Amino acid sequence: MSAHSHADGQLPHEPEKATLEGRNKVLGFWLFLGGETVLFGTLFSAFLALRHQVLDGPPAHELFSLPLVALATALLLTSSLTSVFAVYALHTHRVKALIGWLIVTVVLGLGFLGLEIYEFYHYVHEGHGFTTSAFSTSFYTLVGFHGAHVAFGILWISLIIAQLMKKGLTVVTAPKVYVAGMYWHFIDVVWVFIFTVVYLMGKVV
Amino acid sequence: MAHAHTHKVKRYSGIKDWLTTVDHKKIGILYLIAGGFFFLVGGLEALLIRIQLWKPMNDFVSADTFNELLTMHGTTMIFLAAMPMLFALMNAVVPLQIGARDVAFPFVNSLGFWTFLFGGILLNVSWFAGGAPDAGWTAYAPLAGTTYSGDHGVDYYVLGLQIAGIGTLIGGINFLVTIINMRAPGMTFMRMPLFTWTAFITSALILFAFPALAVGLAALMFDRLFDGNFFDPSGGGNAVLWEHIFWIFGHPEVYILILPAFGVISEVISTFSRKRLFGYSSMVFATILIGFLGFMVWAHHMFTTGLGPVANALFSIATMLIAVPTGIKIFNWLFTMWGGSIKFTTANLFAVGFIPTFVMGGVTGVMLAAAPADFQYHDSYFVVAHFHYVIVGGLILGIFAGLHYWWPKMFGRVLNETLGKLTFWTFFIGFHLTFFIQHFLGLLGMPRRIWTYLDGLGFNEMNMISTIGAVLMGFGTIFFLLNIVTTSFKPKNASGDPWEDGRTLEWTIPSPPPEYNFAQTPLVRGYDAYWKEKMEGHSGMTPAEPIGPIHMPSPSILPFFMGLGLFIAGIGFMYAQDWGNLFDGFKLGYAIGIAGLLILFLCMFLRSVYDDHGFHIEEEEILRDKGGKA
Amino acid sequence: MASNHTATEENAKRHKVEGPKKHIIAFIFSILLTFIAFATVISGEINKDFIYIILIGLAILQVFVQMAFWMHMKDRGHTFAIIGILTGVFIASTCVIMAEYWAWW
Repeated sequence: MSAHSHADGQLPHEPEKATLEGRNKVLGFWLFLGGETVLFGTLFSAFLALRHQVLDGPPAHELFSLPLVALATALLLTSSLTSVFAVYALHTHRVKALIGWLIVTVVLGLGFLGLEIYEFYHYVHEGHGFTTSAFSTSFYTLVGFHGAHVAFGILWISLIIAQLMKKGLTVVTAPKVYVAGMYWHFIDVVWVFIFTVVYLMGKVV
Repeated sequence: MAHAHTHKVKRYSGIKDWLTTVDHKKIGILYLIAGGFFFLVGGLEALLIRIQLWKPMNDFVSADTFNELLTMHGTTMIFLAAMPMLFALMNAVVPLQIGARDVAFPFVNSLGFWTFLFGGILLNVSWFAGGAPDAGWTAYAPLAGTTYSGDHGVDYYVLGLQIAGIGTLIGGINFLVTIINMRAPGMTFMRMPLFTWTAFITSALILFAFPALAVGLAALMFDRLFDGNFFDPSGGGNAVLWEHIFWIFGHPEVYILILPAFGVISEVISTFSRKRLFGYSSMVFATILIGFLGFMVWAHHMFTTGLGPVANALFSIATMLIAVPTGIKIFNWLFTMWGGSIKFTTANLFAVGFIPTFVMGGVTGVMLAAAPADFQYHDSYFVVAHFHYVIVGGLILGIFAGLHYWWPKMFGRVLNETLGKLTFWTFFIGFHLTFFIQHFLGLLGMPRRIWTYLDGLGFNEMNMISTIGAVLMGFGTIFFLLNIVTTSFKPKNASGDPWEDGRTLEWTIPSPPPEYNFAQTPLVRGYDAYWKEKMEGHSGMTPAEPIGPIHMPSPSILPFFMGLGLFIAGIGFMYAQDWGNLFDGFKLGYAIGIAGLLILFLCMFLRSVYDDHGFHIEEEEILRDKGGKA
Repeated sequence: MASNHTATEENAKRHKVEGPKKHIIAFIFSILLTFIAFATVISGEINKDFIYIILIGLAILQVFVQMAFWMHMKDRGHTFAIIGILTGVFIASTCVIMAEYWAWW
């Protein structure tokens, strides 16, 4: 019943679900992601409703450059794979590998974020500012919300890496890793719809 | 490990205890105090509205003030009074009904309360900062945009609700996980008391409806603070999009409000009829169905927008379908009472009064669901009468029933029955006096949200009657407050089962319960767990575990500061355009806003880095409690 | 928990053998689906409505693969996780339908 009985290395196979606190956290986070689905669904619906309202700004098919998007997609997709490896290392209790994979994930996430900042900067110079049109406002809001999620995830996973280094892998830190991994996959899943709906469908004239 | 047991027991007292508590029972009381306060504020606003309307061409308040009162009355009552009072009951009762020692996330529970409170305070600060929101509680664009609402009123609406909404959302997740993961042994889903079931479905609706509101409010905020174009037609935006997003959230919201009231009524009627709830499984099924259909009907608020006959027909039919599960519930309550030995306590009076009142609200609901007829009723006092019949006649009567019923469990004192009955009759008669007549005002053509009206339209007498009714409701509320005050001076002597016919687990433990609720987790052997034991001649529940030390979460001040940080951030971003620069090119408002967010993130950081080991309540203390209170 | 320690260890061993392989296959599958989506758009030969259907179909397929394998949704004990996500998806879809059919008139 105590949360500390496993702390001395006798970790069960799925340490994130070893305690009631851990199980609560995992379930609560799943439900939170259900809510996040509605959040992004609403953002998508706003974008879909407004994406043709470009006014004087550049239209989507002139604005977007697919190679950049492809690169960003590759980075995020790979980071999702590395976070899977991290969770796998968690289940096999290899702390060093776990920390290593999490660091790779964060680095890839930073690369994605850098590309997005460059992309936004570039668009503003093309005359596609936040206030240009309903299309631009809804574009920046949708993609920006996703970017903010990535940024938060990077900070969060970094904090977890630091805790793993200090506290090691315990039944307290394990659920944190697991839940952050779920969060990261979710961000990736949302991105699949963003590159499909925003960029690829925007390119189709 | 050993050190967890030797951890110094951190137990605060006094104001510090209330600021740091993570105990669901205390958080329930905090919700009740805050929600009750906002209920009085919203009620005062309602009285001012009714005084303005009591005679034609009245100038008691100016038209601008009237718009503010109207907006704030709706917003306050829905978000800051009704929801928190429901959360008060859910916090006080749900963990006890499922045999749990606390909720799944005690820290998050406290965080939910403080963010709600700071959001609510932020919203009401607007009264003292140059004007409250005045675009209606629905804040329709483009009226709510900067073109027509240039001052900060709607900013307060947007940010206040956003912050309060975060609190509600995490509260919803907390209850979902609590009910899924923390039920006592034997407490299967189909043995859960109906109040817990409705709390469960309501939490699910919160989880899936509030993110839509969050997006809508964020979009409106971007439009207002950063010149976005979501809802501004001149920038290519779409004003109807706001209506859609608002009602995709807003319609489930009314079911979020009413479902727990259904739960309360089910418990109260069953207890005071001394009968098992009729058709329990159909009640559960109806609750789920109402929750599901609640998401499918949002456009019935928008029949006159011009969505076209296909959409109108679709939403019309979906709306009428809701009458089926609701009807199931009504008949189940009637059949529960049928042949029961009914005791008309105050709680039961409110519950029995609820049934016909809610049926009337439901009938006008079906009338409004008929799209062609709605073109006549739309934006008239008929609509006002309808939603007050379901919200006041449904939800508020339900909350009153719940408060009278569970008051001894929350505070250890039974409310005075004479004053309680006085409360019921004044409030109930006042309510029908106020709102029944408004149906006819609406049918005669009086528009809603109107500041004043001309003489000779035939509105005069009915408005007068309506105002008298509102005053009577005010008296009902005063009697209730009087009851609370006089009761608080009485000795704390309520027994564990003060109604003597308690059927569910909360009545098996002392009133108020000890910090850890259950000295031993009970073993649940059927629906109406306590009643089942009583019928088999047992004096209490069979324990599912031996007495032993109980692990408790530590109190924390962080949730308070997280709410405060959000409050500061809201104020900062709102006034960024007004307060000038901190230094060249960087606005003071943004600096304050970022500082507020940093407080929030710092608290999150501290919470993550420092593990909460909690503390243990030792066996001796539990045995001492048992001896003292048994 | 500690008593069935050997069982969990065995379980972990079995996991080790099949674990990463599945994830890499899921990754290759995702990359492939993404590539097809980009290629469809770049080739630009196909009718617009048809492209939309292909793109959305590919995205849904990829999300399904990732959720099943990477988010462990196909594993046991995920009943409420699946209910939660599916309800979220369902309500998000009603929002999208709203945006496509009823936002403009």
